[in-house]
Amino acid sequence: MNQHPYLRAYMAGIVFPTVLLLIWLTLFCIYRYAFLMPLPIERAIIFPMAVVPNVFGLWNILFIKLHQHWRLPIGLHGAVLPLLLGPVGVAFMSAMGFLEITGRGLIYFGAFRIPYWYVAVAPFIALTVYYLIWKYIVGFLNRVLGIAD
Amino acid sequence: MTTDDHEERELGTALRKAFPAVDTELRRDLWPEFRRRLEKPAIRVPWYDWALAAVVIVSVAIFPKLVLWFAYQL
Repeated sequence: MNQHPYLRAYMAGIVFPTVLLLIWLTLFCIYRYAFLMPLPIERAIIFPMAVVPNVFGLWNILFIKLHQHWRLPIGLHGAVLPLLLGPVGVAFMSAMGFLEITGRGLIYFGAFRIPYWYVAVAPFIALTVYYLIWKYIVGFLNRVLGIAD
Repeated sequence: MTTDDHEERELGTALRKAFPAVDTELRRDLWPEFRRRLEKPAIRVPWYDWALAAVVIVSVAIFPKLVLWFAYQL
């Protein structure tokens, strides 16, 4: 009987970013409505709500498929994801007008300035964070759903 | 023997014919599987993963604005 491994892989993948989205949305709403900052939530929330969970789910499906042929550790598989998601996120935010690339650094949402030397450090931190998330959280969910070997 | 007893026996026979007995014996011994689960160690976090987690925490403490970026990308 078909146990729908890819459906379960997708479901396991989307859990973490979806839960994090709730936290992100709460903070977003507090920032917008409590501090009265002019921030278009409806445009800003598209990427973390629609893109990131789906990418996580599809990436986990890819892991399950590749794992049948190649014993790649899930942590390393997840660590590759920010190399794809990072540039896409930056491109998205630039296109939506939330990110300005200035001579002094990146300005997010017109309020937060991040110097360029932060950007040199960020990919390594992103790789580490994604590695830990995929190894311990997504890996755990895969075991719970019975799709991990 | 009353008519009710007779009918009851006939009903029982008809039901037993319609619903055959179910095999309630276990098809396999579950004890070895249970013992494997007991002996399986809990999730162990290797030292380098602890080191990586510490690096992330220290990095966030030094560069707090990166939290915004990760919050959006995650």
